[in-house]
Amino acid sequence: MKSELRTMILVAVASLSISMLAAYAVAEAQSDGLATPESFASISDPAKRSVALFTELGKVLTHPRCVNCHPAGDRPRQGDEGRLHQPPVDRGTDGHGLAAMRCPICHQQANFEPGRVPGHPEWHLAPREMAWEGKTLGEICVQIKDPKRNGNRTLADLIHHIGADTLVGWAWSPGFGRRPAPGTQQEAGALAEAWVKTGAACPN
Amino acid sequence: MRPSRREFVKCVTASGIALSLSRLGLAEETFAAREAMPGQKFWNPAATGVGRIDGVAKVTGAKLYASDFRAADLPGWPANTSHAILIRAPDATHIYTGIDLARLSGALKPSVVVTAADLVTIGTRVPEFYTGDLFCPVGKTPLYLGQPVALLIFEKFDAFDQARLALRDGTFVKFGKETPPVTMPNYGAYRFTRVAGPTPDAPDVYSPLQEGWVSPGLFETTGRPIWAPLPVPTGREYATAATYGEKIRAELAADNPSLLVLDREFETQSVDPMFLEPECGLAWYDAGAKNLELVLGVQSPYEAAEAIAFLLGEASAAFKPARINANFTSLGGGFGGRDHTPFPLYVALAAVAYPGRPVRLAHDRYQQFQAGIKRHPFKMRTRIGVDRATGKISAFAADHALDGGGLANYSANVATCGATGAIGIYEIPKVDVTTVAFHSRGVTAGSMRGYGTLQTMTALEVLIDEVASTLPLDPIEFRRRNALKQDGRTMTGNPYSVSVRTPEILDKLEQHPIWRQRADEKARGKQAGLLVGTGVACVTKDYGTGADCSLGTVEIDPHGRITIHCDHVEMGNGIGTALANRVAAHLGGIADDVAIAQVGVFDALGLVTSGNAYAMDQATQDAAQRNPRWVPEISSATSASIGAHVGTHASAEAARVVFRFGLWPAALELWRIAPTDPIAGDWAKARWKDGQLIMPGLAPLALPAVAAWAHRRNFVTGAMTHSFSRWAWSQATFVVGGQAWTADIDALAIRQGAGQFASLDRTSVKFPPTDFNRIGTVFTSLCGTLVRIEIERATGALRIAKAYSVFECGQALVPEVVRGQAQGGFAMGVGYALLESLPPYEGGPGNGQWNLGQYLVARGSDLPLHDLEIEMLPPLTPDEPPKGLAEVVMIPVVPAILNAIFDVTGHRFQSLPVTPSMIKGVLS
Amino acid sequence: MTALSITINGRAYGPMDVRDDLTMNDFLREFLGLTGTKFGCGAAQCLSCAVIVDNADGTSYTGPTCVVPAASFHGKTIRTVEGHAKDGMLSDLQKAFIEHFSFQCGYCTAGFLNESQVLLERLAAKPVARADLEKTIAEALDGHICRCTGYVKYHEAVRDVILSDPGRYLIVTVGGEAR
Repeated sequence: MKSELRTMILVAVASLSISMLAAYAVAEAQSDGLATPESFASISDPAKRSVALFTELGKVLTHPRCVNCHPAGDRPRQGDEGRLHQPPVDRGTDGHGLAAMRCPICHQQANFEPGRVPGHPEWHLAPREMAWEGKTLGEICVQIKDPKRNGNRTLADLIHHIGADTLVGWAWSPGFGRRPAPGTQQEAGALAEAWVKTGAACPN
Repeated sequence: MRPSRREFVKCVTASGIALSLSRLGLAEETFAAREAMPGQKFWNPAATGVGRIDGVAKVTGAKLYASDFRAADLPGWPANTSHAILIRAPDATHIYTGIDLARLSGALKPSVVVTAADLVTIGTRVPEFYTGDLFCPVGKTPLYLGQPVALLIFEKFDAFDQARLALRDGTFVKFGKETPPVTMPNYGAYRFTRVAGPTPDAPDVYSPLQEGWVSPGLFETTGRPIWAPLPVPTGREYATAATYGEKIRAELAADNPSLLVLDREFETQSVDPMFLEPECGLAWYDAGAKNLELVLGVQSPYEAAEAIAFLLGEASAAFKPARINANFTSLGGGFGGRDHTPFPLYVALAAVAYPGRPVRLAHDRYQQFQAGIKRHPFKMRTRIGVDRATGKISAFAADHALDGGGLANYSANVATCGATGAIGIYEIPKVDVTTVAFHSRGVTAGSMRGYGTLQTMTALEVLIDEVASTLPLDPIEFRRRNALKQDGRTMTGNPYSVSVRTPEILDKLEQHPIWRQRADEKARGKQAGLLVGTGVACVTKDYGTGADCSLGTVEIDPHGRITIHCDHVEMGNGIGTALANRVAAHLGGIADDVAIAQVGVFDALGLVTSGNAYAMDQATQDAAQRNPRWVPEISSATSASIGAHVGTHASAEAARVVFRFGLWPAALELWRIAPTDPIAGDWAKARWKDGQLIMPGLAPLALPAVAAWAHRRNFVTGAMTHSFSRWAWSQATFVVGGQAWTADIDALAIRQGAGQFASLDRTSVKFPPTDFNRIGTVFTSLCGTLVRIEIERATGALRIAKAYSVFECGQALVPEVVRGQAQGGFAMGVGYALLESLPPYEGGPGNGQWNLGQYLVARGSDLPLHDLEIEMLPPLTPDEPPKGLAEVVMIPVVPAILNAIFDVTGHRFQSLPVTPSMIKGVLS
Repeated sequence: MTALSITINGRAYGPMDVRDDLTMNDFLREFLGLTGTKFGCGAAQCLSCAVIVDNADGTSYTGPTCVVPAASFHGKTIRTVEGHAKDGMLSDLQKAFIEHFSFQCGYCTAGFLNESQVLLERLAAKPVARADLEKTIAEALDGHICRCTGYVKYHEAVRDVILSDPGRYLIVTVGGEAR
C-alpha cells in the first residue's frame, strides 16, 4: 500500500514536471473543476454545508474573470494577474466608460479572437456597490445577498444571474490568453442553488 | 564583412525615396513620385518656418513608412503582395525538435517554408555583425528566446492572416529534452583606467588615450573576465592598467577618515525602444533579371543593403541576385532599435525563397516585443571617494556587467560607451572602470537611446545625490566644485573639443523656482496631506560614434528652387527640415525637395572603402588614402544623436560650394564687380535675408535672379560631398574652377549649369589620425533636470507636479524640433524611471505574448503636460555648430525622479523601475 | 463571410465579401490600400489605428480598428485621416499640428487627428468651461500613445484650435467671454 502510494506520488510529480516543461506553450489553459453540490452531502449541518457550498462557489466569485469587472475603484482590471486595465479606462457615469472610450468601442458583441479582446453585448463595469476586489469571501457573501447592494435581486434572481446570465457566462469562454472560471456555468449555478436551498449562509 | 569594391559596385545600388513629391506629370512615375507626397501641390511648411518639411505628408496620411507600401504601390512590381511570418522559439532551455505544420492544412497551408536546412541550399552567409544561426537548426537548443526557427510564406493574405491566428499560441514549435541555456563567450570586456598627473596641465600618469584601450586576456571557466593583474606575458598592457586600477581600489577600500567613501550597487531593468511602427519590409526577387528589390525602414540604410549583399553574396545561382535595389523610407520611430537589426536579412530571404512574387514581412507588436532590439539590465557596482574637507571627488571605481541578450549586436560598444560616460560631468583624477557585455538567452540587446550612459549616469547621479546629502554639501554646489572644466580631461584622457557649459547649466538649475522653492513646497504639501519632494540631476552625453559619415548633395535650379539629398534617415528627428534650414543659411532659400535615406545617388563621387575605421593603424590609412576615392567609411547609421551635427554637415558643405562657385560669382556679375576687385574675395561677408543676398554698400539681389544667372553662365549649380568624422572632420583640398578650396570634406563632385555631376580629385587630404580611436568622445552636450513630485501616502502613487529641463546644443537648426525632442525625452525618462519593465528571460517578451497592456509606456496622464518647462541655451558663439541632443534630454530625468523620491521618502532606490507599491513599501 | 458595405470619407465601398475574422485594420490597409490608418499594437492600446465613426444621429466617436472585425462596420459611415483635408485645404487641426510641430515620426498622428476632430465636434455640441478645457483634452487624448513627442505639443495644438474659436467650443458668459 505504502509503496503504491509512493509510486502514485512519483507519477503525479512526474506528470507535474512534464506539464511544467510544457508550460512555455501558451495554450488555452485547462480550468480547474468545481465540486458538485452532492459532494458536500457528507456535511450534516445545513449551515456548515451552506457555507461550504458558498466557499466552493467562491472559487468562481474571486476568480480574475469576475473580480476584474467588480473592482473597488473606477478602473477595471485585466488579465489573470489582475493588473489595471490598459488602455486606461474609467467607469464613467454609467459604468460603460467615459465619452471618448465607451466599452463597446473595443468590446464587441462577442469575443473577437484575432484581436484577443473579450466581448459581450452588455460589456460594462459592475456598479461600485458591487465591488468585490479586496473583500473577503464573507464580505462578498453578505454583499451579494443585500438587495441594496446587489441591484435589488432576490436569492432566486442570484441563482439565475450566476447560473444563466450570459455576461456572467462569458467567464467560462473568455478567449485566448485568459484562464476560464473554474468548472462550468451550470455547475456554478447548481452550487448557487444548493447554497440558497441550505439557507444561504455566509462564511466568517 | 565588407564586400570587395567590385562586388559592392555590382551588387549594391541602393536608391532612396525622395521626401517630397514634386515630379508630377512625369511620363514614367518613379517610386518617389508615387510616394503620394503632396509636394508642391501644397505649401512647404518649412519654407516659412511654420512647420516641418514632411508636415503635410504626415497629417494627411500619405504613404511614408515601409509598412504603408504594398507591391501594387510600386511601379514595375507585380501587383499582388504575398505575406510572410517568422516563427520564433518561445523557449531557450530545451532542444528544438521541429515545427508541427500539420495543423496548417488546406487553406492555411504555407506556400513556402524556409528553415535552417534550407539556408544551406540557398547558400547564405551570415554577416559578422549578426553572427549566430538565422534559424535554429533542429536538434539544437535555441541560442536565445525568440530565435527564429522558420519563415513561412503565404501566397494570399487571407491564408497568412488565418495561419498567424493559429500559430500564436506557440505550440507549433516543438521541443524535446530540457537543457541548460546555450553559453557563448562574452561580447566584450574592457577596463578604463586613468590616473591624472600632479597638476591639471601635467600629462596623465596613465590613460587610455596614451596607452590604448585594454581588455583582460584571461577568463574564468564560467566566462567571467579576470580583472586582476596576473603576471602573464601576453596582455602586458592590461597588467599595467590593472596595477593602477587595483591601487585606486585599494585607496578606496582603505580606512581613511578624511575620505567619504560610498560603495553602492545599482541595477537597471530590461526595456524595449517601443517605436510605434513595428519592423516591416517588402521585397521582390525577379529571378529572370536577377534583380532583388526591397523597401525597408531602417536607421542604417547603407549597412542594411551591405548586409543583404553579403548574405546573398555567395548564394547558389537560383538565389543570388545580380542587382539589389533597396528603397528606404521614413520610420515610425527608431530610438536606436532600428539600427543594425537582423530583420532586413529575413526580408531578403523571403523574397529569394519565393521568386517572382513580392513578399511582405511585418512584425505585429507581439512579435516586435519578441524580436526587437532591447536594452537589458545593467548591474553596476560603484565606489566613490570624496575628500570631506574640500568636497572634491578623489577617486572612482566601478564594475559594470550588462546583459547583451542572444546576439552580440552593439553590446560591446554599449559597454564601452556606458563605461567611459560613467563619471558624467565630473572631473575625477583617479578612475578605474571595468565593464563586460555578456551573452544570455534573452532577446538580443543593442542600440537604444542612451546607449549605456542612461544606465551608468543614472547610477552616478543617484550616488552623487547621496554623497551630497551625506557630506553634507548643497547638491548643486557639490556639482559645481567637481565639474569638469572646458579643457579638463575625460576618462579616456582627452578633453572635449566642443563647448563645456556646466557652470551655466548648474546656475540655471540653482536659480529655478522649482529648486529655490523646494522647502516651501514640501511644507505646503505637508499641510495639504501630500508628500512633496524635489530632485535634481545633471548629465553630459556624447554624440557621435567615432566613425561618422555624412553624404549630401545640394542643387539649385534656374528658379532658385533648392533640392537636397542626404543619406541620413527621418525617424521623427526632423532631419529633412534641419537640412533645409542649414542649407538655407548658405543659399538663402528653404529647399522644397529634401530626399533623405538616399544611399545610391552619390555614385558620382565614386567612393571606395576598405578596412575597419575603428581598428586600422595609421600606416594602413595613409596608404589607402592615396586613392583619391578612398574614404574610411562611406555611410553610417542615423543614431548616436548625430542628425544635426553629422547628418547635415555634408549638405552644408555642398551648399557652401554652390554659393562660393555658383551664386557668388553670379552675384558679382550682377553687381558688375570684376573678379579682380577686392570685394570679390569677401564672399564670407555676404548674408541672406528674406531671400535676398545682402552685401554692405551693394543692392540686394533676389535668390531666383542669382540662380538664373548662375545657370545662364554655367557656374556651379550643384555640389555633392562626403565627409568622415573620427572625432574631427576629414579635411581636403580641391581645385574648383582654378581655385583651391579647402573644406571639412574628403570627396567632392560638382555640376555646372544643367550638366551632370562630375567628381573632382582631391589634391590633398587629412583624415583624423587613427589613434583618435582611443578617444572615448570629444563631442558632448549637457542637460540638467529638476522635478517636483507629489506622492500619495496611501497608495505610493507618484505625480510629477512640475519639471524643468535645461540644455545646450550649439546651434539649434529647428528650435521647435529640438524642444519636441526634449519633451519626448522627458516622457521616455519617466517611463524608464517609473513604468517600463520586462522580465529578461522566461515569462518575458521572448515568449511572444507581450504587448502594451503589460509593457507600460508613458501616457499623457503620466506627465506634467502644462508644467514642463524646457530651456535651450543660445549657442555660445553665433557660429557654434549644431550639437547632438536627442539622447541627453532623456537621461537626467531618471535620476532627478529618483532623487526626488529620496527627498520624500528618505529611501534611495537602487533599481528601476520604482513603482507605487515599492514607494508605499518604504513609506510605512 | 459577410458582405460589407461602408462609407469612407464620403465614398461608398462594397458590397465586398470579407471573412468574419478579418480585422477592420487589415481591411483598410490590405484591401483598400488606405494606409493612413496605422497599425501600432493590435491590442487597442495605442490607438494609432483609430478611425472616426459617424452615427446616424450626428454624433461621432473614435474606435480602434485593430481589435474589431471589418464585418462589424457593415453599414457604417467612417472618416479616416485621408478624409480630413478637403479640396487640398487642410483642416484647422491639421494646420495646427503642423504649425505646432506636434508630431515627430508621425506614426500616431492619424489617431490623434481623428480623436481631436471628434473632440472638437463634441465640444461644439456641448461646450465646456474654459477652466475644464485642459482636463477635457487630456481625457480625450489619453488613450493615444506617442513615443516621440511627450504629448505636449499635441495638447497645445488642440487647445489653441479651441481657443481660437472660443464661442464655438467653450461656455461663454453673458458678457461674451469664455469662462
